[in-house]
Amino acid sequence: MMITDNTQTHCPVYWPRAIIHIDMNAFFASIEQRDFPELRGQPVAITNGEVGTCVITCSYEARAYGVHTGMRLPEARKRCRGLIQRPARPEIYATVSTGIMRALEVVSPDIEVFSVDEAFLDVTRCQRLYGSPVYMAKLAKQAVFDASGLLSSAGVSGDKTTAKFAAKLNKPDGLTVIPPWHAREILHDQPVTALCGIAEGIERFLAGHGAHCCGDVGKLPVSVLARRFGNLGRRIWLMCQGEDPDQIHQDVPAPKSIGHGKVVPPDTCDRDILLTYLQHMSEKVAARLRRHDMEAGHFLVGLRTRDGWLGDRRRLAVPGNDGNHLYRLCRDILDQHWHGEGIHQVQVTALDPQPCQQQLDLFSQHNEHRGQLNAVMDDINRRYGELTVSPARLLGRSSMPNVIAPAWKPNGHRQTI
Amino acid sequence: MKFRIQRETLLKPLQAVIGVVERRQTLPVLSNILVQAQDNQITLTSTDLEVELLATFEVDVAENGMITIPARKLVDICRTLPDESMLDIQLKGEKIALKSGKSRFTLSTLDASEFPQIDEIHSIQRFQIQERELKHLIEKTHFSMAQQDVRYYLNGLMFELNADSLRTVATDGHRLAMSQHKMKIDSDDSPQVIVPRKGIQELNRLLEDSDKMVSVMISNNHIRVEMDNLRFTSKLIDGKFPDYKRVIPSDCDKLINLDLETIKKALVRTSILSNEKYRGVRLIFDTNLLRIQAHNPEQEEAEDELPIDYDGPTIEIGFNVNYILDALGAIDTEQVIFALTDANSSCLIYSDDNQDCQYVIMPMRL
Repeated sequence: MMITDNTQTHCPVYWPRAIIHIDMNAFFASIEQRDFPELRGQPVAITNGEVGTCVITCSYEARAYGVHTGMRLPEARKRCRGLIQRPARPEIYATVSTGIMRALEVVSPDIEVFSVDEAFLDVTRCQRLYGSPVYMAKLAKQAVFDASGLLSSAGVSGDKTTAKFAAKLNKPDGLTVIPPWHAREILHDQPVTALCGIAEGIERFLAGHGAHCCGDVGKLPVSVLARRFGNLGRRIWLMCQGEDPDQIHQDVPAPKSIGHGKVVPPDTCDRDILLTYLQHMSEKVAARLRRHDMEAGHFLVGLRTRDGWLGDRRRLAVPGNDGNHLYRLCRDILDQHWHGEGIHQVQVTALDPQPCQQQLDLFSQHNEHRGQLNAVMDDINRRYGELTVSPARLLGRSSMPNVIAPAWKPNGHRQTI
Repeated sequence: MKFRIQRETLLKPLQAVIGVVERRQTLPVLSNILVQAQDNQITLTSTDLEVELLATFEVDVAENGMITIPARKLVDICRTLPDESMLDIQLKGEKIALKSGKSRFTLSTLDASEFPQIDEIHSIQRFQIQERELKHLIEKTHFSMAQQDVRYYLNGLMFELNADSLRTVATDGHRLAMSQHKMKIDSDDSPQVIVPRKGIQELNRLLEDSDKMVSVMISNNHIRVEMDNLRFTSKLIDGKFPDYKRVIPSDCDKLINLDLETIKKALVRTSILSNEKYRGVRLIFDTNLLRIQAHNPEQEEAEDELPIDYDGPTIEIGFNVNYILDALGAIDTEQVIFALTDANSSCLIYSDDNQDCQYVIMPMRL
């Protein structure tokens, strides 16, 4: 029923829908082991730069000792004495990820890049060309390997949720097939949290209605879930029966917000240091808005203290994408909301990114000079690296490396580090 | 305080003043209205510290007095009592007792001295205008006021007092609406005052389509309008309104005459498939033909065509369709004129009848 690897790939049945989920195994750690042979077979933990103290990901060898993502380094070392710490190289990971996604596009153009190391392939329409979905999963794994030299796990089923569930069953380097007509039966006794997208909140609600396994959910009236969660509730009800209706999403949806944050040295009380961090984030947000021909008029500036966030939302009179204007907002907010508390993190977010200069204004004249200056700066920085040219204050900026977000995508506004 | 009153006599003035009583209050007394009973006259006052509304009416007062009463509860009680029932209202200790037939209510009160009063107004300008004309001036412009703009002076309606006319102007930076009423005003330097958005909305609600005269008083920081039995007072926005005359184009060389209903309906139809957020539509003015196009992120498309009388160069220009529809909605003649310069300059819309109302809309880049 559940087929793992080495089964015959010939399938005489045409699947009404066929989805492959590709999941990279310990992606960042595997890249390090690929590039540095001395790390192969060793427990490796990736941290944010040399100074990071949190495990971003770790190799399978380290996982065997109980080390996992999110664990603090001292705790990880306690569990695994020989743990090797490596600084993350986000630019490399982004390049490898892009290469993998491009290779997968060759298998099926209907691809959804789900995160930096995961993708869904809808191969329904490729069955006449390549044959069975199982065979295409093998093709996909091979394509990933050819593009990156890395192993991956694949799950094949008739919908996204079941395919993702299947991919998790055999790692690393697995290939698990759950034919759509068996999905309901296989999910029946699985706890609801085994499905992607069902976390504590929904689990608690379902448990309150006596549903702990996917099979129990199918017995609830769909209206119970719909009343509480709307369309998401209806989707969950179908997901639990192996019939997730969600399609492959190829377009990166327009951004709801664009923001950057950074951890500052713990308990920073120095106004100058905070201003430097805030200007750094302002420049990053502004440059990113410009890169995507966007501007914004509503911003959030946050400062995290031991007890929570300080800060405020502010509007610009006319939407813009100039780092200086943003920095001025930051300075105002710092002056009005910060009274010397120790700060641990800063955040600058554009809350309403929109296409540039769409609606012209009656009273404000567009500042051509600033626009040209920014364009030249962007050109130089694109060629010679981020912030090669920047406001003078940023000479003293943090040397903490950039971090790659799990939601990173090879196209659109998420293609940033 | 004690008086007897018919439900309808109380309900109408109550509903007139309830508008400024906010549902959520930081100052408890602001959710109350002030009731003053004096010499057979009742005065109801409500305020949100920015706008004050005052209504008076005649009734037999058995006992003079003043107190503040929870406003919404009082309105709801009056509303739900049977038609034409009589109410007995009496202050008993710190409570208000309200009796009508078999229904009894006891409401809490706050002392009248806690109720915020607007300082005495020293009017520096005073004039009279027909109620209907004042309402028109507001209705033809108020929709262009900004909402919570950082340029706080845009979040209101500007009144300009010229020697030969009273003008209202509203703008949110993307579009501007101007309306004027020809009248003699005793002013020599055309003073401008900005009335905040909330005040304008209340005033518009209170004004009726009547040919009675209302008096308008303006002081350094207040405007007051006195109608029959009603008095509206609002603080003014302390700021300088932008130079609106500079942005009303005067040199548009392409004038296109359109049938109001036809263009309105075509725009409404086309806009169904415009981007829900940005509402962009493209207008293409070609030789004797206007094409209207819209599309949305789902790649759906709409196109409409209208015959027009035009033989200039083709102009392709984008607008937020809501801005055009707002302007067209305020024009009440059959024909309307679109005055254009080019795709990057503003468009002026006015009635073919007169130019007392003018609407300027900045284009969108599509």
